[in-house]
Amino acid sequence: MHSSWMRIQNVFSYFTTVLFALGACIAVSDLLTPRAPVVNSLKFTNLQVVRGRPHYYSSKHEEYAIIKFSLDADLSSLFTWNTKDVFVYVTAEWPSSSSASANTTTNQAVIWDTIITAPSSDYLGNYGPATLKKLRKSAAGKSIDPSRGKLVLKNQRPKYQITHPSGKIASTEDVTLRLHYDVQPWVGVLMRNHNVDVGLWKKLEGSVSRTFTLPSLKKKDEAKKAKA
Amino acid sequence: MAEQLLEQVRDVVDGQIDFEGQKLVELINTVALTAVGVVAFLVGYVLQDIKLALCIALGGTALTFLVAVPPWPIYNRNPVKWLPIGGGARAQPITLVVDEKTVG
Repeated sequence: MHSSWMRIQNVFSYFTTVLFALGACIAVSDLLTPRAPVVNSLKFTNLQVVRGRPHYYSSKHEEYAIIKFSLDADLSSLFTWNTKDVFVYVTAEWPSSSSASANTTTNQAVIWDTIITAPSSDYLGNYGPATLKKLRKSAAGKSIDPSRGKLVLKNQRPKYQITHPSGKIASTEDVTLRLHYDVQPWVGVLMRNHNVDVGLWKKLEGSVSRTFTLPSLKKKDEAKKAKA
Repeated sequence: MAEQLLEQVRDVVDGQIDFEGQKLVELINTVALTAVGVVAFLVGYVLQDIKLALCIALGGTALTFLVAVPPWPIYNRNPVKWLPIGGGARAQPITLVVDEKTVG
């Protein structure tokens, strides 16, 4: 520590150690905060299967399912000081058709997703200026805003129309909707929803909807006949 | 003239401090940075504000740099007393004992 340069090196060296320890403490503090996310209701409101093309120049025709849904979920307990954002997504799941030999895989496709930012990460979100202003106003003076975890969607249009690699999805049976979430912390490991209680973190209750069957494809001439 | 100026610049940049000063700086560095880390975590956790925790940690570190790095006069209060150059008339004859034999 005899010269200035030596002292700079020593102070900086210990600073990195302190910063690492601080980060580790922040990451561990998450485990001490109880989480009890719950899905009050998740159900489809409208089902539609249409024929379409994956892109304009494709000659391949596929069937696309458009699943509108309603969601009422309370994920507010996921928002702590270390939460950067929460990624929420809804998937549709259905077992492979029994005709395909002894195949027991489950098909899973995302129909809707969203990123809920914490007030500390609003500036990172992909928001327009008006939305950002509104968000900042709603969180003014608050370092965390758990009320953002309360999701209420009514008859929400899906973001993504889903299909199957075979191109056939009409009349699929035993389809369920499921809500998932990923918590991205500022310091620590990305954690996703789990179906068993882990320490103080409760499992995600009621994340699966009741099963339903997708409608069959509407035939064009049938629709014409109905009109006539 | 130029050499004297260079010497002065070198002294300022080097910022040499004495041994007692080095001990003191070491202590200040350890205590201050540890305290900053603990305070940053506690304040951040209680107020649930991670930005504030980061600001405290970085601000506290900047302060520590300011206190510990420049050669403040307080670190030069116990200068090392060197023997006069070339021994001189006042220098006492030194007797060294090596392997039970007197040397010099």
